[in-house]
Amino acid sequence: MQQDGGPARLRARNRLHNRAVHAPRLLALATLAAAAPCPAQGEATAIPAAAARPHEYARDVRPILARACFECHGATRQKKGLRLDRRSAALRGGRDGPVIVPGDPARSRLLRHVEGAGGVKRMPPPDAKVGPLTADEIATLRSWIAQGAPWTDDAGDAGDADARHWAYRPIPRVAAPVPGVPNWPRNPLDHFILARLHAEGLAPSPEADRLAWLRRVTLDLTGLPPTPEEATAFAADPGPQAYEAVVDRLLASPHYGERWARIWLDLARYADSSGYERDQPRVMWRWRDWVIDAFNRDLPYDRFTIEQIAGDLLPDADDRTRIATGFHRNTMTNDEGGTDDEEFRVAAVIDRVNTTMQAWMGTTLGCAQCHDHKYDPFSQREYYQLFAFFNNTADADRADEAPRMPAPTPEEVQHRARLAAVEARLARVLDESARDLGVASDAALLQPLRDAMAGMRQRRESSPWTSALVLEELPAERRRTTRILEKGSFLSPGEPVRPDTPAALHPFPEGAPRDRLGLALWLASPANPLAPRVAVNRVWEALFGRGLVETAEDFGVQGEPPTHPGLLDWLASEFVDGGFRLKPLLRTIVLSATYRQSSALRPGLREHDPDNRLLARGPRVRLDAEFVRDNALAASGLLARKVGGPSVMPPQPDGVWQVVYSGDQWTTSRGEDRHRRGLYTFWRRSAPYPSMVAFDAPSREYCVVRRVRTNTPLQALVTLNDPVYVEAAQALARRLLHEAHGDRERIARGFWLCLQRPPHPDETAAALAALARERAAWAADEAAARAFAGLGCDVQPAGQEPGEVAAFTALAGVLLNLDEFLTKG
Amino acid sequence: MHTPSQLRAGLTRRHFLRHSALGLGGFAAAELLGMPPARPARARSVIYIHLAGSPSTLDLFDWKPRLRDLHMQPCPEDLLRNERFAFLKGHPRILGSPFRFARHGAAGGWFSELVPHTAAVADRIAMVHSLWTDQFNHAPAQLLIHTGAPRFGRPAMGAWLHYGLGSENRDLPGFVVLTSGGHAPDAGKSVWGSGFLPTLHQGVEFRSAGEPVLYLADPPGVGRAARRRSLDLLAELNAVQRERHGDPETDTRIAQYELAFRMQTSVPEACDLQREPREVLELYGADPGQASFANHCLLARRLVERGVRFVQLYDWGWDSHGTGPRDDLLTQLPRKCRETDRACAALILDLERRGLLEETLVVWGGEFGRTPMNEERNGSVFLGRDHHPHCFTMWLAGGGVKAGVTHGETDELGYRITKDPVHVHDLQATILHLLGIDHTRLTYRFQGREFRLTDVAGTVVHGLLA
Repeated sequence: MQQDGGPARLRARNRLHNRAVHAPRLLALATLAAAAPCPAQGEATAIPAAAARPHEYARDVRPILARACFECHGATRQKKGLRLDRRSAALRGGRDGPVIVPGDPARSRLLRHVEGAGGVKRMPPPDAKVGPLTADEIATLRSWIAQGAPWTDDAGDAGDADARHWAYRPIPRVAAPVPGVPNWPRNPLDHFILARLHAEGLAPSPEADRLAWLRRVTLDLTGLPPTPEEATAFAADPGPQAYEAVVDRLLASPHYGERWARIWLDLARYADSSGYERDQPRVMWRWRDWVIDAFNRDLPYDRFTIEQIAGDLLPDADDRTRIATGFHRNTMTNDEGGTDDEEFRVAAVIDRVNTTMQAWMGTTLGCAQCHDHKYDPFSQREYYQLFAFFNNTADADRADEAPRMPAPTPEEVQHRARLAAVEARLARVLDESARDLGVASDAALLQPLRDAMAGMRQRRESSPWTSALVLEELPAERRRTTRILEKGSFLSPGEPVRPDTPAALHPFPEGAPRDRLGLALWLASPANPLAPRVAVNRVWEALFGRGLVETAEDFGVQGEPPTHPGLLDWLASEFVDGGFRLKPLLRTIVLSATYRQSSALRPGLREHDPDNRLLARGPRVRLDAEFVRDNALAASGLLARKVGGPSVMPPQPDGVWQVVYSGDQWTTSRGEDRHRRGLYTFWRRSAPYPSMVAFDAPSREYCVVRRVRTNTPLQALVTLNDPVYVEAAQALARRLLHEAHGDRERIARGFWLCLQRPPHPDETAAALAALARERAAWAADEAAARAFAGLGCDVQPAGQEPGEVAAFTALAGVLLNLDEFLTKG
Repeated sequence: MHTPSQLRAGLTRRHFLRHSALGLGGFAAAELLGMPPARPARARSVIYIHLAGSPSTLDLFDWKPRLRDLHMQPCPEDLLRNERFAFLKGHPRILGSPFRFARHGAAGGWFSELVPHTAAVADRIAMVHSLWTDQFNHAPAQLLIHTGAPRFGRPAMGAWLHYGLGSENRDLPGFVVLTSGGHAPDAGKSVWGSGFLPTLHQGVEFRSAGEPVLYLADPPGVGRAARRRSLDLLAELNAVQRERHGDPETDTRIAQYELAFRMQTSVPEACDLQREPREVLELYGADPGQASFANHCLLARRLVERGVRFVQLYDWGWDSHGTGPRDDLLTQLPRKCRETDRACAALILDLERRGLLEETLVVWGGEFGRTPMNEERNGSVFLGRDHHPHCFTMWLAGGGVKAGVTHGETDELGYRITKDPVHVHDLQATILHLLGIDHTRLTYRFQGREFRLTDVAGTVVHGLLA
């Protein structure tokens, strides 16, 4: 697509830039130069380094060396005999002698090499995949060496072993910094933010007005906008507890679970089809509803973890915990002719290992499938030790998707019970008739009754009975031996391994079984520092549009370090101490002064912190794909608020489902199912719902931690022309005509419904002028007006000319396309 | 909001790149990749014709008289050793090509009677007989050849190129996909997905029937004037907010709505084959208004003419197993050739006479080869060949490819490569090279590591470069 050099694009590129990926960066600049008018901006995102502070190896130095040096001077290769990822080896130097002399930057050859100064070969070499170090990075190395090259972690154990990477260290009890502006902070979270702002010479933004906060928090906690009535009531409530009351109401809403499930469904690669070539429909929605329900009842995260990884192995396993194991049945199955079931069973197990480590541990382990991890401390053997935990489930890439468990809905149970009752009544009648007729009775007389009964039984037995895909452990005699797969190929099994967790991470719980349940307990263990950090970071990202660790998918040494390490740890320990409950954590954050700030970009901030990493203002981000749809339906009054149930098929263009070897049809849902929330849309991996794909929803083939947000013309085409949105505009126009009188009032009503605020005078003036233009134009063409306003065989709104309805439909369409409408601000 | 001068600067830069003597790819990419420009890039755009299902190139280009000699005899034992086939069972029999072959062009390459038009342009194409892959099922093999990996989730070649080189047309997507033959390719939309790259780079499917781009048409009753009025109010209200909250993202949104508005005109214009003279329509065998491969070839030319970077054609229906009349090699391969042969040759000739062939790389091929043995699935009496990853033929033309050459050879049965093997990663490396990109440097960080189209492999095939 043509790039108008929009900020989204610049930002996406800057992310690359900052990570100093040489080639794409240059390519990025190439495109930037070709298509974007202001390349200089590409340089502007770096946050100025804080004043000279003591350097920590793990936080400040290791990420630089890992990016630029470990490829050739790390665990797997030691060119020139030089190894830089261990203290003793690094200080010893390579075949050409020491490269780091603690306390003496001038004699440290490392610096000359990375600078390419003094006639020595520049490192990394020009043909390396990574670019040269930035001036900032070199300055960091220099001052770290000047400080004596301290190679310790926070706890101060200056061992010869690696200083542990920050994310793997236990979560310390962090005391919040003392507030610099005593009146600003509302809870300890704010102290961390404020301390960093002060260090950067910035002040927080003023508080957003009440209505802006209400819209923001309602979208964040439920994915739906507040109603105008909720907005006016809140604006009129001066009580000190008004904010708290709103948050408590939202956290108790059944839509809360729908909103937070959205994120988990991406991580779980949830879809309604099996993937690969045939991509058959599959029934997974029972698991999806389990997730929504788990969020709604605020199932503690440790239990949430255990039930999904090993709900079948729990001593108190029940149907609900077994349905939870559907998490890992979201892997794809391939039933194309000639495929080796073992190949794709192994692919599914690999996906389970990778997804588990991604979703819970923020760790990208995939590369250890073929060789030792180049940057993070994981060996290939450890990869297959993790693999071993998942390698004994009964599912085996079979076309029937076994094992499945019956998981009928209450309606299905009721229906069968009714059929059974009829059957029983027929049986009684049959009995009685037989008795009345006596032993000599003519069988033929009773045949119709017998047929009716058999028919009823058949109807009962074939009545819908939903089943759920679940994990099931193989019986002892059918256990598989796990072997290291050379180069990751299922055809090259090597040495056998036993289930175990990586040595660099927290220890396996004592006495826990060496099976999936043990692994689940390990993930959920209070000794696990990584999982809570990853979890709270994900929450932060959902609210602020960017995690405290921006690379939410990678907490390893190659990932970005946290912008606010203390805050991340404070939130993580609050989360753990609070019993792993999400709702209290959210409550804390959305009531904080940080979250309440206005999102307006004040002069200066754009230059200093364009990505709002320091949080000197509130978040402003475009809504996720599902919520774009939900909001249009909600504002127009079309939204069906039913929670859960089978996935639905709202209107989509013909021909999208054009998949080989499959006669499956997209059968457009009727009634309220046309207008359900986005997360209930039937998700076919090979042909996902196009209007959501346009808004960056993934295909759900693999675990996706972070959706990249784009801003494209295809999105404009969706919200302007997709019949779903046209229908929403028509419905909104009718609402305005019904619910208010006169142009001004109707315009205001539109603003309240869509944006939950009154229009400013300039906005009203623009809308009034537009209405006049629209009226004149539509009055001249009644047929077009009728078509646009959807007035075919529909009853005309009382007393309204088609041109009038069309004029308001046009206005409504504009409101539903406003940047502010598509954005949480 | 970009100032007019900023916009002009952008345009000028584009203009410069578009018209610089070396062409965009060569100059910009090589220079900005920080490489010495080993050779200027020749290709600016790619038209990649994928025959989904994989044509039997043993019956089109890779002439094996020996198969005729052995026709219906049990195949040599060593063809079966350590082999896994998709469908072949037992001890299969050799299938000689039922079609006549003749030599064409200055170099005297062999072409079967099914591809007379391609044969007529023999001197303009490079024939590669030694392609090979490691996947023998459609979806993984298609993913491998288009995304560099046999699994879902990687960006397609067109997405990589769009990411690396951007687009040259303000009013059209830079990566366009056209599918014909009644079905999407087996691997679905993943073969033109952006994978982990931003969705900005994904292929945009132009559809044969109905709207060329999803949601392109204005709603019923809405004309251009009505849409313009709406966008004017939208821009006015968005600008008011932009003034208040200062978020530059709003400017992008305003700009993207305007681009969408322009696309509503430019896409139907580009897709309107009625504008072509009768002579051109006849050259391709195109029939405006119908969904056909020939129309897509012509459309592809119109798109690269307008600066679209990568046009991907998929034509479905080449999977001739011989299990029944619908995939009978004897009748269906000729049918598919009749649908495509003329248009492929026309594309080359048309590009050439417009001076576009030099800067447009045309690639033709399936996802794997087909066995020299007859499949006879369940005793079928129809003729057909099973999937075969060890070798297959593709051809390339234009865009800096050496014309009229043959590269690589297979053994007398067309079963294994005997000379100059070209893995699909090598093909990808070569395509990127022709666009001025070093395939080892076009990388993107995802899940903790650098990814690239050619994974950890790929060697440029220098023998194919002009």
